[in-house]
Amino acid sequence: MQLRRVITVLIMVTILVVPFVAFRVLPEIGDPNSAPNSHVTDYYIEHTISECNSPNMVTSIIVDYRAFDTMFETTVMFLSGVAVILILSNKPKKRDDMFRKFNPCTTNTGPSIFKTVNKDVMISIIEPLILIYAIYVLFHGEVSLGGGFQAGALIGMTYLLDVMVVKRKDRDIFNYSLERSVSVAGTGPFIYAVGGILGLIGGGLFMEFEAIPLPIEAPELHSIGILIVEVGVTVGVMCTIITILKAIMDRVSFDDDND
Amino acid sequence: MNNFPALIVVCPLCAALLNLVLNRINEKLGKAVIVLSVAASLIMSVFVLAQVITTGTIHYHMGNYDMPLGIEFVIDTVNGLIVVLVSLIGFLTLLFSDNFGYKFKTRLTKGAANTVLTLLIVGLLGMTLTGDVFNLYVFLEITSLSAYCLIALGGERGIFSAFRYLLVGTVAATFYLLGVAILYGVTGTLNMADMADILNEGGKDQAMLLAICFLVPAFGIKMALFPFHGWQPSAYSYSEAGAAPLITGVMGKIPAYAMFRYLYCIYGTDFKYFNSILVIVGVFSVFGMLYGSIRAIAQTDIRKILAYSSVAQIGYISLGFAIGTPIALCGAFLHMLGHAFMKGGLFFCTGAIRHKFGTVNIEDFGRIYKKMPLTCGTLTIAALSMVGIPPTVGFFSKWYLGSAAAMQGEWIYLAVLVISSLLNAIYFFRLIEKVFINEDKSLKERVYDEFKTCGWKLVLPVVVCFIAILGLGLANVKIIDILMLSLKGVGLC
Amino acid sequence: MINAFLAQDGIYLLTVILLGLGLAGIIVCNNYMKKLICMNIMQVAVIFFFLCLGQKNGGTIPVAMDTIIHAADYINPLPHGLMLTAIVVSLGTTGVGLALLTRIWERFGTLEEDEIIQVKGEDEV
Repeated sequence: MQLRRVITVLIMVTILVVPFVAFRVLPEIGDPNSAPNSHVTDYYIEHTISECNSPNMVTSIIVDYRAFDTMFETTVMFLSGVAVILILSNKPKKRDDMFRKFNPCTTNTGPSIFKTVNKDVMISIIEPLILIYAIYVLFHGEVSLGGGFQAGALIGMTYLLDVMVVKRKDRDIFNYSLERSVSVAGTGPFIYAVGGILGLIGGGLFMEFEAIPLPIEAPELHSIGILIVEVGVTVGVMCTIITILKAIMDRVSFDDDND
Repeated sequence: MNNFPALIVVCPLCAALLNLVLNRINEKLGKAVIVLSVAASLIMSVFVLAQVITTGTIHYHMGNYDMPLGIEFVIDTVNGLIVVLVSLIGFLTLLFSDNFGYKFKTRLTKGAANTVLTLLIVGLLGMTLTGDVFNLYVFLEITSLSAYCLIALGGERGIFSAFRYLLVGTVAATFYLLGVAILYGVTGTLNMADMADILNEGGKDQAMLLAICFLVPAFGIKMALFPFHGWQPSAYSYSEAGAAPLITGVMGKIPAYAMFRYLYCIYGTDFKYFNSILVIVGVFSVFGMLYGSIRAIAQTDIRKILAYSSVAQIGYISLGFAIGTPIALCGAFLHMLGHAFMKGGLFFCTGAIRHKFGTVNIEDFGRIYKKMPLTCGTLTIAALSMVGIPPTVGFFSKWYLGSAAAMQGEWIYLAVLVISSLLNAIYFFRLIEKVFINEDKSLKERVYDEFKTCGWKLVLPVVVCFIAILGLGLANVKIIDILMLSLKGVGLC
Repeated sequence: MINAFLAQDGIYLLTVILLGLGLAGIIVCNNYMKKLICMNIMQVAVIFFFLCLGQKNGGTIPVAMDTIIHAADYINPLPHGLMLTAIVVSLGTTGVGLALLTRIWERFGTLEEDEIIQVKGEDEV
């Protein structure tokens, strides 16, 4: 049995590795003249400021040149949130637990050493800082490193931190129900799509930010378009994280839940 | 009018995204918006098809960036027809799935199921239209994620099939991405037309061979071609009853179309190893056609019969690709259109019977035609079409495939085509026998408390499939003419 | 020496070995959770592979600066953008997979394939 597994692994690795070594068809690493480094990339690098008004080239590619891809990428996030809700909405009627009785795990971690830190005070200091940083990352996405996904993930993680520390009844601002969070998660990609539809309204093609009907110059319009798109991504990612967390929290109960 | 290609995808997408918000306002509103949006994309796709027939291929550039820079949608007559098919069956499935809402306990899960079904339609439409290899990957993942979810809704066995499909499907998506990476490494572009131009300059045969070794299994897994079909029978059988017609009828065909794009539009017949690849695809299809038919004979659950028969029918489509003449490709695409309506129609009928009597075992179907005449009419015509009795569409697509095989001198393909049709006849005539001749089992109608059945939503899809199977059969010359507009220069001549 | 090896074919070789290990893990592992982890390893391998293609000798990060104007001085931003999408997609897939595993765990109390087959029978799974 064990030998068979080892042989399987060896065969798999051989089958996959041999063609890559034998053919030598791929470009050399780091060669500036190889096909991927020279065909369309130079255009992106040279025109990112003049066309998209965005020094960060990765941002200009994912939300301007290939914005259509990223719209569906955000939709994938939303879709996974909805799928988790649907899959976890049913419970099994009976359970075939004939093999393994569940043994509650008893671990002794010693005396608690966190008693001296007041979590409620610390959380009220840390959370606003993270949120401000998230907003900074969101609005500076096209200038330096960052963007909608990172901002959304930061806000979502703040919510997670809040859930872990603050008691449930004390949370009022940051308390989303499952229905609300999933419907807001849907509006995130919708805001993104609206950014594309604005181009249609201005008489251009879909996702053409230059056609947005606002009385400002073309590079500025690209900035506006990128901002709309980034806000949509942020909202989508943030609420998807909250949705998945909620869907799991509604289902499980922890043994130290006392509120 | 000239923005229709983008709107075909964006309309249902926006409706799906807003559905859960609208669902909080009113339960009926979200569903109504979704149905209207899919109807709108059906109408738009018909307009686009008419435009393509008169003026030729349409290129739609997202964001007005030219070809290798941005993402483009390419519509010729072949995928124009497939888009009409996807949106039509999607529209019918959305109506049909209303009758299976009793499975969902809360308003949220009901709305969420509609959202996922609509996103499945969006993914299929996008995969058909796109002209960019990485965009195809994103749509492929949208399609598969929503399919995992819809299969998992079919109860406990559905969960297992969905998990299995998730593992295998992700392997397929990863292989696809690896193939794209190799092609990107040697060409430096992601646009299909641009990639085809660069690859046709020659000198990249080894890289292309390495890439196709990953791409054929990737599409093979997604379309359930024979040696890669392991996930398919249980996934098709236990998927959520309201969504089953779309999953079984259309979901396997679109990766097949993508494989066609790779084989004939990107690689082209100048590729050095092209004939060997075609022989391998042909061998897969031949074994699939025999294996699927033989396994289907042994089943008693009607959903399992139909699922195994799908393995065989996908074999017909890839057999058309493997023969490779324009006539064979036309036959394959006619079979793709026809089989979507046949299998979709059979699953509409199965769903209707299950909704009314709660059984899927064909032993219980004795003289069911007295109780559900329309459904049994479609069941019969679809079964006859599967076997290949004129004047249904199944006969004509097999006729074109067979005559192309005979013209190329591929007698093995022709023989297997005939044998597989005879095997089809065994289990489909058994089904017809149960429906019309076997003694009455006096089935009891299912009673739904607090759930209103909407009769016309059960009947309309069944009737449309009946008309489509006969209509496609009678108008096959017209369809072949339309397909030929795009396929004339393609393929081995 | 190791630098020369990595610059030639070495990095491709390593990523493909990672891919092979992931694929082999999906096939031979008995535990569903391990299968899911192996699936993730496969996806990461392909992401590495794609990123290799964007490497450029002497290039800096792809944020335009006033002092550097030549395209050859920036690394290729396109694979990085594409892989952002691929990472998000793999995140979504893993989430759905974990939700499915939760359901399986609640029903059987185990994730070992042979134990589940023993309960359910061969053809059901």
